[in-house]
Amino acid sequence: MAFAALVLAAARVPADALAVNDPTGRSLTLPGVPRRIVSLVPSVTETLFAIGAQDRLVGVTDFCDYPPGARRKPRIGGMLAPSFETIVTLKPDLVVATPAGNREETFVQLERLRIPVYLVNPTRLADVLDLISRLGALTGHAAEASRLAAALDVRVKGVAERASQLPRPRVLYVLWPDPLIVPARGALVSELLALVGADSVTANAGEGYPRLSLEAAVSGAPEVIILASHGGNQGPMAREKWARFAGLPAVKSGRIHSVSGDILHRYGPRVVDGLEDLARLVHPEVFKPSGRR
Amino acid sequence: MSPTARLVAALAVLATATAVAAMAALFIGSAPVSPRDVLAVLGGRASAAPVDQVVVLSLRLPRIAAALLAGGALAVAGVGFQGLTRNPLAEPSVLGVSSGAAFGVVLAQVFGLRAGPLEILGLVGFAFVGAFVAGTAVYAIAARAGGLPVHTLVLAGVIVGIFFSSAITVLISIVDFDRLGGVVHWLLGNLGPLPPAELGLFVAATALGFWLVLHPSRQLNLLALGEEGALQLGVDAERVKRRIFAGAALLAAAVVAFAGPIGFVGLIVPHALRLALGPDNRVLVPAALLAGGLFLLVADTLARSLIAPAELSVGVITSFCGAPFFVYLLRSRTERIEP
Repeated sequence: MAFAALVLAAARVPADALAVNDPTGRSLTLPGVPRRIVSLVPSVTETLFAIGAQDRLVGVTDFCDYPPGARRKPRIGGMLAPSFETIVTLKPDLVVATPAGNREETFVQLERLRIPVYLVNPTRLADVLDLISRLGALTGHAAEASRLAAALDVRVKGVAERASQLPRPRVLYVLWPDPLIVPARGALVSELLALVGADSVTANAGEGYPRLSLEAAVSGAPEVIILASHGGNQGPMAREKWARFAGLPAVKSGRIHSVSGDILHRYGPRVVDGLEDLARLVHPEVFKPSGRR
Repeated sequence: MSPTARLVAALAVLATATAVAAMAALFIGSAPVSPRDVLAVLGGRASAAPVDQVVVLSLRLPRIAAALLAGGALAVAGVGFQGLTRNPLAEPSVLGVSSGAAFGVVLAQVFGLRAGPLEILGLVGFAFVGAFVAGTAVYAIAARAGGLPVHTLVLAGVIVGIFFSSAITVLISIVDFDRLGGVVHWLLGNLGPLPPAELGLFVAATALGFWLVLHPSRQLNLLALGEEGALQLGVDAERVKRRIFAGAALLAAAVVAFAGPIGFVGLIVPHALRLALGPDNRVLVPAALLAGGLFLLVADTLARSLIAPAELSVGVITSFCGAPFFVYLLRSRTERIEP
C-alpha cells in the first residue's frame, strides 16, 4: 500500500514521469507506465503472464518457456549473453533483470543505451509474492496482481498449517547430481522443504546452494530423496544412481521421487505448485494428489 | 640386481604402500563415520549402521578402486608414450590424446550414450577412436626424418589439444545444455564411485591396455637405442610401435571415459620411477601400474578432504603438481630419455 502511495505521489510531480524503486532498492525514473518490457528473467516472464500483463512484454530470453505464450514472444538470447542489437530493435521502455542469473555488464550496457533497468532479486517465498504485487503496480495490473498474491498466500498457509502438525521425515533434495548441488541455508528450496514439514539433511551444509560430497549427503540417512529434473531427460538415470545405495532408508522404502526444477528453482507464481508437489511427496498420507496439471 | 630381482623388490614395496594407502583412504571422508564404525562395516558385523555401510562399501571402496585403476592406466600410458616417442614429456594430456578421447566421449553423449554397461562400452569405443585420431595427428605433425624433436612434439600436442577442446566447446554450445550439463564438471577430471559393472569394464580395458604395453617392453628397451639398432637386433619396430600406441591410447581413453581427462599422472609417475628403478621398461611398466594407482589415490583422497564437505576435482590436484614438474622437465631434459 505504501508502495502504491509512493508511486502515485511520484507520478503527480512531472507530467507523466514515474519514479519507482526496484526491489533491490535502486530508484529509477520512467517516462511513464512501461508499455514495452523486455524480461531477462524467466520467473518475471511467468509473473507478467500470470497477472495479465503479457501484452506489455515485447521480448523474453531463450529460457522463458512458460507459459506456452512466452515461447511466441521475440527472443533476445540467453540470460548471460543477451543480444543487445535485438533488445534495441525491440525499443523497450524497461528491461527487467536479476543480479542472480544475468551479468552486471549487461545492466551497465543497457544503461549506457539509455534503457531503464528494473532489478529483481527474490530469495524467499515472501519475495516472490512481493514481486508479483510490485510488477502489478508497475504495469497497471495491480488488482490482478494482488488477487493472485492473495490466492497464493492462502495456498501456502494451507500447506504450512497442515504440515506443522506432522512428523518431519529426513529429506535429501538433489538440485544437480554431478557435481552434487544441494539447497542449504537461505535457499528458497530449503524454505519450501521446511514449510511442507520436511527435515532437510542439507539445511546447514553451507550457504545458498553449495556443492557437497556424496557421502556427506547420504550420511544424514535420508528417508526421502527428491531429485530435481531439468528439461526432463535426466530423471530416470539419476534415479538408478541413487537406487544403488540400498542401505539408505529412502531406497529401502522406494521413496525416491522426481520434481520439476523448472517449477521449484524459479521465483515465479508456480513455486506454490512446487510447494504443493513437495508436500505430496513428503507427506503422501495427508496431501492427496489433486487434479492439477 | 638383476631386472627380475629389482622388479620383485619394487613391486613388493609399491604393493605394500598401495595397500596401506587404500586401507587408510577407507577411513577418510566427509561423512561422520568413526574408525570403529568403519571397522564394524569391514568386519561385516551386524551392528554396523546401514548408512555407514553405504558410505564405506558403496561410496569409498569403489572410488578407491577407480583411483587405483585410473592412476595405474595413466602411468602405464605415460611409460608407453615416452618409450614410443623417446621423449620424456610425452603423456596423454600433454600429447592432446586425452582431449581427443574427451571429444569422443562428448560426441557419444550427444548421440545419446549415457550409462549402463553396453553404453559405457560404446563410450570407451568413442574415446579410443578420439585418442587414436589425436595421437596419430600429433605424430604426423611432429615427426621428422630423424625422429621426434621434443619441442615440436609438445607444440603439436598443444595444438591438437586446443583443436579438440574447441570442438568440445562447439558441441556444448549447439546441444541443449540439459543434455550436456554435467560435461563441464566432467572435463575437470573427477573420480566417482563407479557401479560394479562399470568397474568391471574399467578393469578389463586397463588389463588389455597394460598387456599391450607390457608384452613388447623388451623390444621397447631396444628401440631406445634407435630404430636402426633395434632392427639389427631383430625387432619389428613398426609392429612394436603400433602395439604400444594402441595400448597406451586404450588406457588413456578408458580413464577419460570413466573419470574424465586427468592430467600429468603419466608424466610424474614414470619419471620418478625412472629415477628410482632405471630405464628398463620391463620393470617400469608393471611398477607404473602400482605407483600410478598409489599417486592418484593419494591425490583423490586430498581432493575428497581438502575442502570437505565439498570436493575438489582430482584433475585440479594432479595439474597443480604436474605443471611445475613439466616446466622442470622441459628445462632440464629437453633431449631424449637416456638409454
